This record gives sequence, structure tokens and C-alpha cells, in this order.
Amino acid sequence: MLEKQLLERAINTALDSSADFAEVFVEDKKQSSIMMQSNTVEQAVNQTIYGVGVRIARGYHSVYGYTNSQNPEDVVSLAKDLAKSFEGERVRETITLGELKKGSSHQIKRMPHTVDMKEKVAIVKRANEAARAYSEEIKQVSISFMDYVQNVWIASSEDIYVQDQRVRTRLGIHSVASDGKEMQSGFNGPGGHYGFEFYETFSVEEAAKEASRIAVTMLHADECPSGVMPVVIDNGFGGVIFHEACGHSLEATSVAKNASVFSGKQGEQIANPIVNAIDDGTIENAWGSANFDDEGHPQQRRQLIKDGVLNSYMVDYINGKRMKASSTGSGRRESYRFAPTSRMSNTYIDNGDSNFDEIIAATEFGLYAKKMGGGSVNPSTGDFNFAVMEGYMIRDGKISEPVKGATLVGTGKDALKKIDMVGNNLLRAQGMCGSLSGSIPTDVGQPTLRISSMTVGGSKGAN
Amino acid sequence: MNFEQLFKKAEAKGIESIQIYLEESQQIDLEVFKGDLEKHQMADSRGLTVQGIYKGKMGKFKTEIIDEKLFDQWVDDIIKSASLIESKDEVFIYEGSDKYEEVEGLYQEDLETTDIKEKIDLVFDLEKRISKIDSRVDISEAFFHQVRKRVIIQNSKGLNLEKELNHAVLGGHVVARENDDSRSSYEFEHSNVLSDFNLDEIAKNCVDKAVSLLGAKSIKSGKYEVVLQNAASASLLAAYMSMFSAESVQKGMSKLANKVGENIADNKISIVDDPFRKKSPKSGAFDDEGVRTTYKELVSNGKLTGYMHNLKTAKKADTTSTGNGFRGGIAPTNFHIANGDVAYDEAVSKMEKGIIITDLQGTHSGTNPISGDFSLQANGFYVEDGKIVKPLALITVAGNYLTLLNDVTEICNDLKFGFSFIGSPSLKISSLAISGE
Repeated sequence: MLEKQLLERAINTALDSSADFAEVFVEDKKQSSIMMQSNTVEQAVNQTIYGVGVRIARGYHSVYGYTNSQNPEDVVSLAKDLAKSFEGERVRETITLGELKKGSSHQIKRMPHTVDMKEKVAIVKRANEAARAYSEEIKQVSISFMDYVQNVWIASSEDIYVQDQRVRTRLGIHSVASDGKEMQSGFNGPGGHYGFEFYETFSVEEAAKEASRIAVTMLHADECPSGVMPVVIDNGFGGVIFHEACGHSLEATSVAKNASVFSGKQGEQIANPIVNAIDDGTIENAWGSANFDDEGHPQQRRQLIKDGVLNSYMVDYINGKRMKASSTGSGRRESYRFAPTSRMSNTYIDNGDSNFDEIIAATEFGLYAKKMGGGSVNPSTGDFNFAVMEGYMIRDGKISEPVKGATLVGTGKDALKKIDMVGNNLLRAQGMCGSLSGSIPTDVGQPTLRISSMTVGGSKGAN
Repeated sequence: MNFEQLFKKAEAKGIESIQIYLEESQQIDLEVFKGDLEKHQMADSRGLTVQGIYKGKMGKFKTEIIDEKLFDQWVDDIIKSASLIESKDEVFIYEGSDKYEEVEGLYQEDLETTDIKEKIDLVFDLEKRISKIDSRVDISEAFFHQVRKRVIIQNSKGLNLEKELNHAVLGGHVVARENDDSRSSYEFEHSNVLSDFNLDEIAKNCVDKAVSLLGAKSIKSGKYEVVLQNAASASLLAAYMSMFSAESVQKGMSKLANKVGENIADNKISIVDDPFRKKSPKSGAFDDEGVRTTYKELVSNGKLTGYMHNLKTAKKADTTSTGNGFRGGIAPTNFHIANGDVAYDEAVSKMEKGIIITDLQGTHSGTNPISGDFSLQANGFYVEDGKIVKPLALITVAGNYLTLLNDVTEICNDLKFGFSFIGSPSLKISSLAISGE
């Protein structure tokens, strides 16, 4: 770890220019991963990631550089190089860093490096066996085990000097079902801000079976019809729709540049009044939680939408300057290789007051999207698309035959207004979110909810 | 750093053979947003991957802390990693190929010595041109990315290979607005010679693409004749590239298994993997395993000729590696559908009633690389009597990739590569299911 004195020297070297902000981010991360395929452990790899990122800004103009040289003096040289972008008189006085602050939430019971790799392999094998035992139609199973300890130190000219330790654990189960002619796959990937004790919080076997259940169900599914229809999206990973279609458009990254459909809409009704949405980076031991964001600000709970009204954006320090708003603790990055920007943490639509059965019964004809796949959104237009991993038709208010190959298409702005029923069974699920500052762990979530009409793309043609 | 010491320590502990893969890179990223230098990033990094065979199993780790003092610990790490492996597949550390192709022009010194100020000016210049073309351009952005990379592979069997390359991308991003509608676009070119970049062309293509889609609406669902533009076709090919990997084939995850020698596509289609393509950072004389790379037509006039192999899959299939062992698995170099001879405008003008697809979204989630099925969001235009009638958005296009390859009726002569160096010319497809209203 770099000494405090060196961090101070790097910051002050950077400020020996017309820059008004300087920050050093130091990362030391140890990750282990195990891959099992075809019933055998194929890979067991440890990885060490180490590097330092330096960011300098004047107003909202910033420059960023990183190095993973082991020579501490190279960090000072990097600061000096970056400062060349801000020629002119010094505007800040000499900075001294205060006491190092450490976070104390999200405690870990069994640190990954204290657990023998054989114990980890045993988890992988349990998952593999359970996934295969589900059905004879399961022909391939691959299991990926991952855990890491990421230590970061963040020091900046804004009286920030913090250390945070993020410990994350995730198990991925990927099952492939085949009847000899066709193949379909299913995935389940539970994770959290946990060490090895994570495996005491849920059943590995149940999680593995779930991936196989999806694969087998889809193997026997019909092609999905296409057209405009009501869509009921189930709880848990169904929240990816809000994450992609609305969450990204509420990040200062696009809002500050006026590139979001929600720019300048704070205080306005953007959703049906039954919609409440939250981004909360403080949930105990959740996958997207941390003590501090990657700019050294404490993580927070942000109420994004309150009774359908846009209440808060997710703001990082630099975009905040452009928007004349303060940071909401939303500056995140994958690693020292990325400058931070505003990102989501654990984002979900909150409980409403309908229950699951009511929602299905109230829908005469439509699509029930039980498990969503991934998707993407264009933040400037709000156009989104999602794959439905497991879907069923709803006929006469009852869940009917399974369908495959469905895609949901729409715009975030429209979809928010068309949410006409919100259930009371909130559930979160884990994902990796990719954007400007890299790929980071985020939770998505929601209760079961209904969108009154949506374009469904399927391969069967119009219904 | 002298890795001979590491090799000796490894041998002393019973490691049969050991190899290091060292990659050093320097990068510059610039972004101009509405006349402001919004992003200016410089990077200097190195990463090491060490692999060693212990009791017949391959141990492996990666690190960014590269220090001779850690050699003893590294040897232990290899042994620990190898001891967990159960796979009975034969593993390899390669002694080297007889001959490696000379690949010229991978590294251009001028790109490195050109002052950063000149590069910044280039990005400002591009952004200015983009912003001036059309009053409906609301957001204009230009970006520049430059990377210099040095790769060293050394092993205890005497292999010692090195390559150095550099590469730059210059591009623009536009959001156009009119009434309540907004449309966006990305366009870019890549090269390692700055004078290759055609600023006016990037600016014009970028703006045209966004502006022409303004007011786009959905269309009636049905089957349509389709011209799949080059960039859209390339993104679809990228999603199905794994079908051509011997790894997918051997794991039962490719529909192309047991199809070598058969026609899998229309006989006009050829699919090429070309490691010697000029000015591409994917080009080079050897892969990550140190095996010489080869030019090959994986699909030749519609017929599947073989798969991409690394050392492991080649051994299993009793053949030789094609030099596609990258990142611990199999990956192509410059992978593309070969050019045809039809002009794009001609392909459109001969369409009676059909759809031009300009781009496809969600290819990472809406495609099934095993079955070949896809259902993707698309933008484009509706064409009648060879003329564009209206722009289209919020439509989805669905089908199966192998069926699509068989339904190709014309191949254009406008081969274009995407960010990941997977390329395609525009293709005319006899029929695809489009869903909209």
C-alpha cells in the first residue's frame, strides 16, 4: 500500500497547476475462480490485480491516468504528466490528508483466502450434480465459482482519505437441455457481498436446479407469438427492465450532458403514481453494496422515483459539478483502469399492493415473463430491448403454455407510465452491469408487475 | 526481467514445463463533447500470465505485480492450481512452429511520436465537422483511442517470441432531435496511420445515420425481404462466431458439429479468418500459445471446410492447431464474410417491397449461440420500388442464423469491420420475420 505521504505528494504535484481537484485511487485485488465443465474441474485460476489511478480536474474538465508500475515514484510522475493539461497559476493551497476512515458495514465471516480451494471445489461439485440430476434432458452443465477481496484506498483534495474492502462471492450455473434435435439453455447466478459464509445463506442444490428447470422448460416451449400485448414481468431478475430502461437514464453520466430523456425532469411525474424506485448501496451484504463509493463518499439510499415523481438522480462528483448538484455517493468503477462515473448499486422497484394471483387473473391475454435474460438500452433515446429467458402465455387470466424466443421492445419513458399493477413480492437478483466505468456488480429487483401494453417480438409471427 | 530463473525454480520443484505470457500496453483516450475536451486518459500497464504443467495438469495464474522476488511463490501457485484440475485432456506448452509469417506494418512509429496536441486537435476538428452538418444534431461527440502493445511469450522449451503493434480508432457519436423524437448513431474508422482517417466521411456517415432515422416508426408484422447492412451483419456474425470454434464443437455446443464438407450456407458465402490483414491489431504471426497463425476460409462457397483450433482441440480431433489459441480458449483474428460484387445501392434499388436493417441491438442477449435462433431489436428503412419510403424503429427481427446464411440472395462489395474486427459486407436475405405493430 502507498504511504500517506506519497499520496499527499501526488495530490499536491497534481494541484501544482490550475487544477482544482486531484484524486488518487489505489487498488489491490485478489480473485480466485474455478470452472467446471463436462463433470471435471477445468480451470482454477488466481488473479492479482494491482494499480493506481490518478484523476485531476478543473471544473468538470478532467484527465485520468493509471499505472500498475510497482515504483511509487511513478505515481507522482503520472500526476505531473496529467497536470500538464491544466497550465496556469495554482488555485489550491497545499493539501494534507486527515485520518484514514474505514467502513464497518457488510462484515465478512469467512474471508475467501482463508478457505481451502478444495472446499470451494466441493461447492462447485454439489452444484454440478444437482443441475445434472434435475432431468435426463440436461446434457451439459458448466459451473463457475468466483470470489474476490478488493482493497481500495481513495485520497482526494476534497478532504477524502478512506479505505474500503469489498468481498464478493458468486456462483454461476449454466445448464443446457437437449432432446437430440434442439438445445436450450438456462442460467442462475446468486451472489453477494459475502465471503465463503455466503453458501450458508441459500441452498446450492436449489439454485442449480433452477438453471436446469429453465433449460428443460424452454426445450418444450412453443415459439412466442409477436404483437402488442400486456406483459407481466415477474419479481427478481425482472427488475433488469427498470435497470436498463430507466436506471441508466437516471445516471448523471447521461443526465448532466442533457443526453437523457429524464434530463431536467426532476419533480415531474414520469411514471404511474403506483411506481416507487430506489437505488440503495447500503443494503447489508448485498451484491452491489459497499461502505464507500469509488470516489470515497459514503454509500447512500437514493429514492429515485417517489409515487411516480422523479425525485433523485444518481450523481458522481464531476458530473455533479456540471449539474450543480452534489454527489449522491454514486461514483463507481470496475477497477483502477477506469475513471469513476455515476452508476447504480442495488436498484429496484419497491413493493406495491397487488398480489401475484391478482395480477395474472386480471390479464385476459398477454405474456408472462417469468425469467428475463439480458438486454440493452440507448440512453439518449430510451429505446430498450430484453430477451425473455422463460416466458408463458397468459390466456383467460391463467398461466398457459411456455413460449421461447420472445424479445420485449419499448422505451423507458413509455414503459414507466404503462406500469398499471405492482405486486408485493419484492425480490432482488444479481447481475453485472457494463458501462463507461467498466463492469460492476449490481442488484436488480422488483415485485411482479404488469405493463399494460408492450411490443413483443417473437419468431412465430402475429397472433 | 529474466524469466530463466523462474523456469529453473519451476523445474527444481517438478514442474515439467512452464511458460510466461507478458503483455505491456500504453493507451491514450480522448473525447470531445460539444466543443469541450471531455475525456483525456493515459494508461501504462502490464500483465503476466504464467502456466505450467505439473503431473500432467495445467496450473495457471495471472498477476499485475511482476517482481522477481515472487518467483518462489509463483511456482507454488502453479502447483496448487494444477493440483485442483481434474480434466483429463492433454495439455501443452509449445516448443515452436518451424516458420512464422512476416507480418508487416503492425507497428507504426509515427503514431507514437506524433504530439498529443495534434491528436487532440484531430478530435476537436472531427467534432466541429459533425456539429455543422445538420441543425438537427443536438449532441455531437468525437473520440480517439490509441493503443501500443508489446507481447512476449517465453517458455522452458526454448520458445521466445515477441511482437509489437499499435492501433488507433477515430470516431463520432451523434444524437439528433426533431419534434419529440431523438435518434443516435456511432461511426468510426481504424488504422495505425493518422493520415488514413477521413474526417469528412466519418462526420457525414455519423450524422446521416442519426438524422435519417428521425421520425422512425414501427411497421406491420410480417415476412419481408431484407437488406442487412454491413455493420448489422457483422454484429450478428460476431454473436455466432463460437459456432466455428472447435471447442464449442467438441463440447456439443455448436450446430456445425459433424458438418465439415457439407453446404451450410448459400454457395455465394465464404467466411474467412485472416491473421495477416494490414493495419489491424488482431493481426500477427503467432497466437497466445505461440503457434503460427494461418489464413483460412472456414466456409468456402457455402461449404464448411473446418473449425478454428488451438493446441488442445487439435490434439483431440487429431489435426493441427490453426493458430487460433487466444486468451486461454479459441478466438478468431480478423474474421469476416468475404466481399461479393453487388453495389449496395443496386441491391436496394432492386427491392420491390422490403426492409433495410441498419443496426441490431441486444446481440449479447437476444441471440442463442447454440441453436442459432435470434430475436433482436432493429432500426432501418422501409423500401418500395427500390426507394426508401420511411425510417423504422422499435421493430424486432427474428430467425435462425444458419437459415439466414442459406437465404442470402446477394452479397455486396462493401466489407466493413466492427470494433472487435469481425466484418461483413451488406447481405440481401430473401425473407425474415419482422415484428412491429
